[in-house]
Amino acid sequence: MPDLAAIEEFLYKEASFLDRPNLDSWIELYTEDAYYWIPATEDQTDPINHVSHVYDDRVMMEIRRRNFVHPRAASKDSQTRCSHIIGNVRIKEQSPEGGLIIESTQHVVVWYLDEQRIYAFTAQHELRPANGSFKIKSKRVNLMNPDAAQKSLVIYL
Amino acid sequence: MQKIPDRNFDALVTPTKLHRSLYTDPDIFELEMSRIWGEAWIFIGHESQVPNSGDYFTTNINHKVPVVMIRDKDAAVHVLHNRCGHKGAKVVDKQSGNVRGALRCAYHGWSYRFDGSLLKIPNQQGYEDTGFDASDPCYSMQPLAQVASYRGFVFATLSSTITDLVTWMGGAITCFDNLCDRAPEGEVEVAGGVLRYEHDCNWKFILENLNDTMHPMVVHESLVKAAESYIATLPQEAVKQRREAEIIPPFGASYENFENSGITGFEYGHHYDGGKTSIHADYSVDPDYHAAMVAAYGETRTREIYAFNTHNVLYYPSLTIKCAIQNIRIIRPVSVDRFVVESWSFRLKGAPDSMLQRTVLYSRLINSAMGMVGPDDLEVYRRAQKGLECPANDWVEFHRQYGKDRILADRVEGGGTSDLDMRTQYRAWKAYMEQGQQLGKSDA
Repeated sequence: MPDLAAIEEFLYKEASFLDRPNLDSWIELYTEDAYYWIPATEDQTDPINHVSHVYDDRVMMEIRRRNFVHPRAASKDSQTRCSHIIGNVRIKEQSPEGGLIIESTQHVVVWYLDEQRIYAFTAQHELRPANGSFKIKSKRVNLMNPDAAQKSLVIYL
Repeated sequence: MQKIPDRNFDALVTPTKLHRSLYTDPDIFELEMSRIWGEAWIFIGHESQVPNSGDYFTTNINHKVPVVMIRDKDAAVHVLHNRCGHKGAKVVDKQSGNVRGALRCAYHGWSYRFDGSLLKIPNQQGYEDTGFDASDPCYSMQPLAQVASYRGFVFATLSSTITDLVTWMGGAITCFDNLCDRAPEGEVEVAGGVLRYEHDCNWKFILENLNDTMHPMVVHESLVKAAESYIATLPQEAVKQRREAEIIPPFGASYENFENSGITGFEYGHHYDGGKTSIHADYSVDPDYHAAMVAAYGETRTREIYAFNTHNVLYYPSLTIKCAIQNIRIIRPVSVDRFVVESWSFRLKGAPDSMLQRTVLYSRLINSAMGMVGPDDLEVYRRAQKGLECPANDWVEFHRQYGKDRILADRVEGGGTSDLDMRTQYRAWKAYMEQGQQLGKSDA
């Protein structure tokens, strides 16, 4: 049985990078073939033929990471801070090679454009063992209200 | 009700300047809602959103008035005021779905046919000998004053006097034709879901930005630089496979490129940039798609369809479409400093899935609230909304290439970096606000 405490510790580490936010360290938690997905509907199965809020592979994550700190990105001038609370961490699946599907419930307060907002979602992490810890093969953010009108968001949740 | 004070519109809109109150004054917003949004043809939805009898889609035609688009048993599509004839409750509350049999009010159970006519009132005998006349249309869910569709795109208006939809669209109608002709079967259908994006600023900013070609290389510079610097580190072969590498860099195109794309304006405020070329013109063509197009239209006509390449087309004030990308955005005003944009994608009937996939990718990258282009556009609108509170200067200027617009019989043409789009839409704005005195007359 995998060590739940180690998994939780890893999720907290990811959250701490996003809370700052420190995308340079955050992206290193992901594998080279990773995906980051925020679907636009509940139970969305298809990111290719159906629109999403975000569906980034590593290349797009690298571009966002560079754009995020570019001096002429007006939408990134505002100070951005996050505060993640992670609970209900559970192991959904486990492969013989040690791969894991982890679900957690997350409430994230985002400070952006002089306001505090709350995003509530179920996160689904696909983890791979790496160097005594993990790397993220994919992360899916199932927002509580994916089809609501959304405000600008320039940071990963 | 509080009467909204009228305005001297000559003092607010000149050929080269706008008064800042157009963006900040709640009374002007209320006047716009009744005189522009209450008069113009407003886009409601596409017929493919309601394919079967009883399928419905709800929205507001302006900041408040709820309407429902619904298909009846004979396949006709109706747009009805979403209000019960009894005590006024909104009848259909969900965004979309299907009803069987009849529409039914949740309050006292009055029911309506899909054309809006009153079907049944529970315990109706109480109305006997009261003077109540169930056949009076005011007790139905009334249809909008005018409803029409063009190639599946459904518009409605609260005005019984505005000219018909086709006349109203004028020369801009060719852009709807181009969008649909890009389908080998000549038809499009809604596919791939919708994104809704909340904008905390005045609704006119996005319309002004559509064909403002002086902003992309400034507002989107960071994205283009970030993308180009990273893409440069990737193997050439890997880059060729990526459609983002076609979509993102043109946002940094030069002033000269945008100047060459040109802007064309029409009566009633419609306009587009591009035509001969646009930021979408150099996208690669899927060979399977090309084969399907040639089979349907022949080589010459297919090339003609591709060659008409617009960037953004505005059907003032509620709809902007991208023919080459099969993507539309709908503007839904809420208040003087708030509106929502809906982005919908379309499938080209008879085209391979790769075409819809590109449309969906484009929408996600560009139109999403969490995308790479939309948040930078919204940020500059927000700053304009804040800055226009300054009393130091009451005016927003749009002089670029003033006096150089080429005035033709049914349209005005000018340079791609001109403010022709501003002149076009604010001539219409003023005419609508003066209660249509100038509309329909070629005083361009």
